[in-house]
Amino acid sequence: MTINNYLKKETHLLLSVLSLFSLLSCQKQPKLNFGQDYIGDNGAANIVLVDTATVRMSTVRVDSSATAGTGYLQVGSYTDPYFGNIYSRAFLQVGLPGSFPTINQFDGYDSIGLIMLFKKGNPHYGDTTVTMNYKINQVTDLYELNESINQRGFYSNSSFNINPNPLGSASFSLYPSIPLTSQGLGDTLKIRLNDSLGQAMFNMIYNNSDSIKKSQNFLNWFHGLCISPDTSVGKGIIYGFSDSILLRVYYHEVGAVTSYKTIDFGITNKSFQFNNIITDRSNSVLAKLKPAPTGQGQNPLTTVSDSIGNAGYIQSITGLNVKLTFPYLNGIAHRQDYLSVIRAVLTVKPVPTSFSTTWTLPPQLSIDYTDLNNLIGSPIPSSTTGQAQTGNMTVNYSVPLNTVYTYDVTNFIKAQIVNVSPNATDQGIMLNTPPPASTNSFVRAILADGSTPINQRVTLTIYYLSLYPHN
Amino acid sequence: MKIRSLLISLSIFTSLGAMAQGNFSPYSQMGIGDLEDGYYNRTSGMANTGQAYRNNRFLISNNPASYSGLTDQFFTLEMGIRGSLINYYGTPVDPSSKQSGDITFRRLAMGMKLAKHWGSSIGLVPFSTQNYEYDVPYYLQGSSSELANLHYSGHGSVNKVYWGNAYEFFHHLSVGVEAGYLFGQLNQKSSIQNLGSGTTLASTTNTVDLNNLYMQYGLQVYGHIGKKWEYSLGGTFNSRNDLLASYNRIVLDNDSINRNSQQLSQSYLGVPNAFGAGLSITHNQKYTFVADFRHQAWGAEKNAYPGKNYTVVDANRGSIGFEISRKKSFYNSKVELSYVQAGAYYGDSYLQINGKQIKDYGVTAAFGVNGLKTPLSYNVIFQYGIKGTQNNNLIEQRYFNLTFVVNYGAIWFTRGKKYD
Repeated sequence: MTINNYLKKETHLLLSVLSLFSLLSCQKQPKLNFGQDYIGDNGAANIVLVDTATVRMSTVRVDSSATAGTGYLQVGSYTDPYFGNIYSRAFLQVGLPGSFPTINQFDGYDSIGLIMLFKKGNPHYGDTTVTMNYKINQVTDLYELNESINQRGFYSNSSFNINPNPLGSASFSLYPSIPLTSQGLGDTLKIRLNDSLGQAMFNMIYNNSDSIKKSQNFLNWFHGLCISPDTSVGKGIIYGFSDSILLRVYYHEVGAVTSYKTIDFGITNKSFQFNNIITDRSNSVLAKLKPAPTGQGQNPLTTVSDSIGNAGYIQSITGLNVKLTFPYLNGIAHRQDYLSVIRAVLTVKPVPTSFSTTWTLPPQLSIDYTDLNNLIGSPIPSSTTGQAQTGNMTVNYSVPLNTVYTYDVTNFIKAQIVNVSPNATDQGIMLNTPPPASTNSFVRAILADGSTPINQRVTLTIYYLSLYPHN
Repeated sequence: MKIRSLLISLSIFTSLGAMAQGNFSPYSQMGIGDLEDGYYNRTSGMANTGQAYRNNRFLISNNPASYSGLTDQFFTLEMGIRGSLINYYGTPVDPSSKQSGDITFRRLAMGMKLAKHWGSSIGLVPFSTQNYEYDVPYYLQGSSSELANLHYSGHGSVNKVYWGNAYEFFHHLSVGVEAGYLFGQLNQKSSIQNLGSGTTLASTTNTVDLNNLYMQYGLQVYGHIGKKWEYSLGGTFNSRNDLLASYNRIVLDNDSINRNSQQLSQSYLGVPNAFGAGLSITHNQKYTFVADFRHQAWGAEKNAYPGKNYTVVDANRGSIGFEISRKKSFYNSKVELSYVQAGAYYGDSYLQINGKQIKDYGVTAAFGVNGLKTPLSYNVIFQYGIKGTQNNNLIEQRYFNLTFVVNYGAIWFTRGKKYD
C-alpha cells in the first residue's frame, strides 16, 4: 500500500467520523420543568404589579357638543336617574323640491303634514313604553350663523326663537326595535300641520310666486322648523329620527277621475340641522356639578368624584367627560427597587347597576391626553400598535361586573411617572365618547371612584421592573 | 488533495458550529457546573483510568508524572472531539422532548520530551461546563392571579490551560507538576416572559468571570517484575485554591433597554483538595490492566456554593480498564499497530440534590490505530453511562458518547539521528 493510499484511507475515516458527529448534533433539546425547586435568590429582576395606584376622578363639563349635521334629529325628553332631565329638540330648514307640478284652477288643496322616518338601529334613549307628544313650531329668526359673535357652526346649546303657537302636534308611542309607531304606519310618523301654512304654500305654487322660484327666497319666507317634545305630556324617550324628513302638501287634481297628489319639501342645508339639548340636573346627583364655561376662552371646570356620588359621569353629547389623574405616581418611581415601567393598563368598569339595554354604554370610549386646562388633547396610543384606543369593551348584562374597557397606557405612565413639573398632577387622561356617538347618541357611562372595592372601580395597573439593590 | 482538505475543513467547522447547541445538563446550574471527568486521550477507552499509566507516544494527562514516559525528542499533538446523545428520564422531563445531542471540542494538547528525563506538555481542556434551560411558572409579584413564565438558562464553561512537567529519576520514579490556570465565564439568564406570546418582559443576565491557579502534583513508580510483567503505581494531588469570581449583572426591560448594569463585589469560590491513586499492570507488552480511585474534597467548599435544595459534597470515582495492544517488531524495538480497550467506572458526583448524591456510572470501549507511514494515530471511544436518578423528583440521564481523538507524533531535533 502506498503512502497515498494510506492517506486516502485515513481521510475517509476522518470524514466518516466527522459526518457521524454532524448527524448526532441534529437533535433537539429536552423540555424540563423543575417547578420552583432550585430557584434561590439569584438577584434577578422581578416584575412587580401595582394595582393600588391612586386614580383621582373628576367630571368635566363643557358647554356644548357639535350636534349639527349628525344625520339624526334627536327629539324627546328623558329623566335619567343619574343625569337628570334631558330635553332635546331639532332645528332644521326646509327646502324647495326640484320641480313643481302644474296646478290649475280646478285643483284643490287638501292638507299638510310632516313625515318623519326612523329605522331599526337609530339611536334612542329612554323608556319606549311612554307615550310622547311632539310639537312642530316655525322658526321666527332668520336661520343663519351669527356673524356678530363669529359663530362657525351650530352646537347643542344653539337655538332660534320659535313661534309659540305650534304648527301641529301628535301623540304616539315608538317601538324602535320593530320598528313601529302607535300610528300603525310602520317606520313613518306623520304629524298634521296647520292648514293655513299648507294653503299658503299651495297657493304660492299655483301662483308661481317669487318665493318658490329661488331657494333663498323660500328660506327668507319660511325660516325653518323646530320639532320638540311636549314635556307636559310625558317624559320617556329621546329618539334619533333620520334627517330625511319631509314636509308634504296633499292636494287633488280634478279631471275625469280625481287623483290625489303630493308635493314634498325636503330638508335642506343638512349641515345646518342641529339638535338643541337642554339639561336640568337640579334633582339629580349631578346637582353639584360645577357650571359649564360661559365665556369664550374659558376652560371647563372639573368636579371631583366625591362631591357627586363618588363617581365620574360620561355623556359626551350633554358635555360630560371624565378626567383621570394619578397624583402619587412619583411614589412608585421613588421605590427603592423601581427600575422602569414595563406595562401599564387602565381598566374602566362602569358601575354595575348603572347600565342596561335601555341605558346603553358607549360602545367605544376614547382616552386622550388632558392637562390643567381640562380640554381633550391628542389620543393616547397603544404602546404596541401605536393606534388610538377605544377600550375594546366587553359587555355582560347578566354579570355586569365583567363589563370592562381596557387600555394600554404604558407610554403615558412611563412619561408621567417621572414627570416632576409643577402641573404634573393636573396632567391626565380624558375619557370621552368618540364621534359619532359623542354627537348623535345619548349613550353614557358612570364610573366608580377609588372609594369602591377594587374589582368595581377604575383601576390603573402598573407592571414595573424591580431590582433590589445588591452589593 | 485540495478537495479532501476542503471537505475535512467543512466537516470540522460544521461540527464546531454545532457546539453552540450543547446538550442541556439540568444540574449544571448548581455549583460550578458539570465537572469534566474525562481526559479524551489514550486512557478514555479504559474509563479514563490512567493515574499509573505511561505511554511513549500519547499524552497521559491523567497524571503529569507520565510525560517523562514519552520517547526522547518526541513531539506530539492531540485533539479530542466528542459527540454525545442523551436521553432524559424523570418527572420533570416533558415526554414529548426528552432527547438531545451535541458535538463538542474537548481537548487540545501538545507535549514533547525536552530532555532525556524531562517531558513536558501544554494543553487546553474544559474544567466544567454549564448548559441548561428550563421554564418555571411565575406569579408576578403583587398578584395571585397573573402568571408569567420564568425562563432560566445558563451557558458557559470554566476551562483549564495547563503546563505540565515530569522528570524521571532512577528509571523507576517520575515526579510531575501541572500548573493549571482556570478561567472562564458562566452566563446565567433569567427571563420573565409573557405566558401567551412568549415575548420577553424583562431579563437579568448574571455573568460570573472565574479565574485562578489550580496546581496538580503527580508521582509514578514503575518497573519490571520478571521479563514479562511490568507494573506502575501512580498518584496525584490537587491543592485547593480560591477561585476569584467577578460578578456583572445586566437588567434589560421589554424594549431591551439596559435598566441596570452593575459590577458586583468580587467573591471567592473554591476548587478543592483532591487526590487520586492508580495501578497499572502489563503483561508481555500486550495486555494491560489499570485501576484508579479519585477523591475530591468538595464538601469543604460547600459554604462557597450556597444553593436551594442542593449542596456540594465530597466526590469519589473508581474505575478499571483493560487494554490489548498489537505490536510489531522493527529492528530492536516493538512498534504498536493498533489496540483495543474496555473499561468501567462508578462515581459519586460532587452534587447532593434533594438529599440524594448524584451518581454516574458506565462502561467504555475503544479501538485505536497508529499510522505506520504517517505521523497520525486515531482513537475511537464508545461510552455508555447513566447519571442521576429518577427518584426524589430528579432527572436521570442515559448518555452515549462517541469520542474521536487524533494524535500527531514526530521525532524532532534529531540532528539526523532518529533512533537510539
